[in-house]
Amino acid sequence: MLHRAHPYTPLAVATGLLLLAFAFRSPGAVWAVVAVALLVAATSGVLGAVMRPAMLLALPTWALLTVLHGLLGGAPHVAVGPAVFSVAGAERALVLGGRLAAILLAFLTALATVSPARLVEAMTARGVSFGRVYLLVSTLTVVPRLRARVRQIVDAQQCRGLRIGGSPPARVRALGPLVVPLLLSALAEVDEQALALAVRGGGASGRRTALDPPADHLADRVVRWGVLALVVAAYAWKFAGASP
Amino acid sequence: MKPLVFLDGVAFSYPGAPEPALDGVSLTVEAGSVVGVSGPAGAGASTLLLVAGGFAPRLTGGTLTGKRVIATERVGIVFATPWTQLTGLASTVLGEVAFGPASLGRPREAVLGAARRAMRNLGVAHLSDRDPAALSGGELQRVVAAAVLAMEPELLVLDDPAAELDPAGADALYALLPEIAAGGAGVLVATPDSERLARVARWVVVLEGGRVAREGAPGAVLDDTDVARVARMTGCPAPLPLDVPAALARLAR
Repeated sequence: MLHRAHPYTPLAVATGLLLLAFAFRSPGAVWAVVAVALLVAATSGVLGAVMRPAMLLALPTWALLTVLHGLLGGAPHVAVGPAVFSVAGAERALVLGGRLAAILLAFLTALATVSPARLVEAMTARGVSFGRVYLLVSTLTVVPRLRARVRQIVDAQQCRGLRIGGSPPARVRALGPLVVPLLLSALAEVDEQALALAVRGGGASGRRTALDPPADHLADRVVRWGVLALVVAAYAWKFAGASP
Repeated sequence: MKPLVFLDGVAFSYPGAPEPALDGVSLTVEAGSVVGVSGPAGAGASTLLLVAGGFAPRLTGGTLTGKRVIATERVGIVFATPWTQLTGLASTVLGEVAFGPASLGRPREAVLGAARRAMRNLGVAHLSDRDPAALSGGELQRVVAAAVLAMEPELLVLDDPAAELDPAGADALYALLPEIAAGGAGVLVATPDSERLARVARWVVVLEGGRVAREGAPGAVLDDTDVARVARMTGCPAPLPLDVPAALARLAR
């Protein structure tokens, strides 16, 4: 669904889901936002692609939240098997964990559905300066670029005898030969890329020509205005002291 | 012809470097000419290109002394490592090549026309819809060269531009340099490939340790090609043929 949308639409949906997750205070309402984020990912066909990184990032934090708030929280407590949970703490952990899940799912879905090239064209067509376009798009694409580079460095270092498996201390020792070339090559690349962009008009002050700007359909605008209306309503409700 | 670059006694040091990368270098690149830079690794050829193109010390930092005049702002540079020269902002080769002209705010048709012309000249028109990130090193190098040519530079600076190319691709790229020069641009190319340099350069500067060791017509200053070595061993009189076509022409005489 979002793949075909104007690039601003997935970003607006992701931002809206983030803001809605923080507008609510009860676990039920926050996890309802998570359910919507899951629905958006599923209908966009990227649920499988976003679930794994979302879980990898969320699980350690959920475990920490459970310990901090659930086990160490104040009275009243409830026993679940051998463990004793703070009811208020568990609720707090559910709210914070839900917000984290909503943020991760929303932005991973946006990353998976927004084409950087289409986003560049959309921003160029709106007259956004190249500096801002480059800052946003290079931020969105930094993870896949670094992942590809890490794969090359791991391959190269393994060819030279580096073992990246084994015991935890051995894994820690293997980090140096991976991280140092990663940082040095990234720094070297920045120099040449800055030069390459400079000679190709990257620093030009005038308005760039958009070659193939994506269509901004009525449906896109309706979704974006709808998201904005929902967020405004949720925060009005929150500040009125009535939101769940 | 109009001098595009004039260096007189130029020295350049990178920030924190104990020794200058260039020392007392003089060089002139005129419109319509191809000038070559040669020398062993670390001799300062890449630095000379950055200085002649106006990129050092503006973008690299460091200290420049001596006289430098660059008579144009339309300077293009191609490095040996094409993957560092992608914008990362285009999903097709056409978009990548058109990036530069589009940055100048030219009309859409003019941008696409310049991009398609440059792609045809570099033999990459058939890659138009491909993702630049999925190309081979050789294809990518030609795409990057096309992207720079699409800007229609008055001064084109190339640092070992055929490092990623197969022999046929390298021949095609070097054959294009005199054509670019014939269109009125100045071309400054650094490469260890003396054979191809001898074919295209009007003037060659050989650097050693950041200084000009010798300069002149290619036949007078380049004598380190395999063909030249064989010719020397067989007692061939100077100037030595530097590549196979030159050796065959000499034999035919």
